Amino acid sequence: MVSVVFMAEPCAGEIRILLFAGLCEQAGWAEQQWPANPNDDARLTPRQLWLKLQLPGDLDQAVRVSINRQFADADTPLQPGDELAFLPPISGG
Amino acid sequence: MQLRIDLHSTGFEPLVVLTRWQDEQQHRSNVQSAAEAFFIGRVRGVAADGRELEALELEHYPGMTELQLERLALDCCNRHGVISCLVQHRIGRVLPGEAIVLVAIGADRRGPAQRCCQELLEALKHHAPFWKREWRADGSSEWLSGNTPL
Repeated sequence: MVSVVFMAEPCAGEIRILLFAGLCEQAGWAEQQWPANPNDDARLTPRQLWLKLQLPGDLDQAVRVSINRQFADADTPLQPGDELAFLPPISGG
Repeated sequence: MQLRIDLHSTGFEPLVVLTRWQDEQQHRSNVQSAAEAFFIGRVRGVAADGRELEALELEHYPGMTELQLERLALDCCNRHGVISCLVQHRIGRVLPGEAIVLVAIGADRRGPAQRCCQELLEALKHHAPFWKREWRADGSSEWLSGNTPL
C-alpha cells in the first residue's frame, strides 16, 4: 500500500517538466529541466513550453496542465522552481 | 469528518478493507453513521475494442494524485455534510476481476450517503490523475483516452 510518494524537488532556477502515460510515450521522455531566468520580464507559460518542446497534439483539446501539483491554466506565467506537468486525458476509477 | 485515502500497489480485498474501516469508525467516532453507501469497481475481462483483456496498468502522478483525491473528497463530503469517507484505489498492474476502486461514505441519511458516493466516484474518475493502459492477450497495449459511460 502506498500512502504518499514524493518526487524529487525541482532545482532552483529551473522548471521541472513532467509527462505521463501516452503523452510520455509519444514524446519519448518523462522528465526534463528547463532553465528559467527569474529576472526575465516575460515569464514562460506552459503553452509556450509546449510549443518550444514540440510536444505532440493539441494542448487545448486533450491535455490538462498542472503547476506544483494543482490544475492550472496553460497561460499561467511559470516561476523558477515550478513543477509543470502535462496531463493526457484522465481515466481513473 | 473522517477521511481515509490509500493507494494500493498490490491487490486489496474491498470487503475486508470496508469491514476494518467500519470497525475503526465505531471505535473512533462519537457520531455513528445511520446510512452507508459504497461502490466497488473491478477490472473487466474485455478491452475497449472487445478483445480479451490480459491486464490493466494504472499509472498515477505521485504526490498530485493523493493531493487531488483529498481535495475532491473534502469538497464533495463537505457539500453533502457526510460523516466519513473512505477511498481506496489501485495503481500498477491490475488483473481482470480485481478491485480497482472502493469508495465508501457514512452519513446520517441515505440521500447524502448515496449522492456523495456517486459524485465522488465520478469526480475521481475525471479529475484525479490516473491513466489506464489496456494490455491484451496478444501482447499489444493501448492507453485509454477516457472513461466508460456512466
